[in-house]
Amino acid sequence: MIDLGMTEITIVISSVLIFFSIVFGIVRLVIGPETVDRVVAIDLLTIVTIALIALLAHQAERYIYLDVALVYGLLSFLGVLAVARYLEKGI
Amino acid sequence: MSTLVITLLTVVLCAGILIGGLLAVILNNMVSAVISAGLASLFASVVYVVLAAPDVAMTEASIGSGLSTMIFLYAIRKTQKIDSEDDE
Repeated sequence: MIDLGMTEITIVISSVLIFFSIVFGIVRLVIGPETVDRVVAIDLLTIVTIALIALLAHQAERYIYLDVALVYGLLSFLGVLAVARYLEKGI
Repeated sequence: MSTLVITLLTVVLCAGILIGGLLAVILNNMVSAVISAGLASLFASVVYVVLAAPDVAMTEASIGSGLSTMIFLYAIRKTQKIDSEDDE
């Protein structure tokens, strides 16, 4: 049995959760019958991606990676907002 | 152990890029195709982070995922108006 510390166990558990979130998000994006389902799926995938980038920053021990997650958190609403404005005949 | 898990996640991300590109080609609805292209851009940004290029990832996040989606939707709006006038 591999000797696992508490940090390793936490990283592995969160990686498994992020894995299943990404897989289910992709499934919803593929089979989603309407555009709105795909918008919600891409929003979910953006938020899961922010968590994944934070996990990568911890795993690589380079905390400059957190800036990428920060930019994503600031910009994640833009795409969803643009599609929502488009669907309501705006933009 | 955690390195193995991160590698598996990277493989899933690359498969997601492929799926996003295929959906952007296949789908008939234009807005859904634009969203699928956004998915490919989103996962490409994370793969850039895995490949230790955070500056490229930041640029891809702001331009590929944010700006290009808005510009594509604006272009679709403008061209659909012309198409509907031609149909009538």
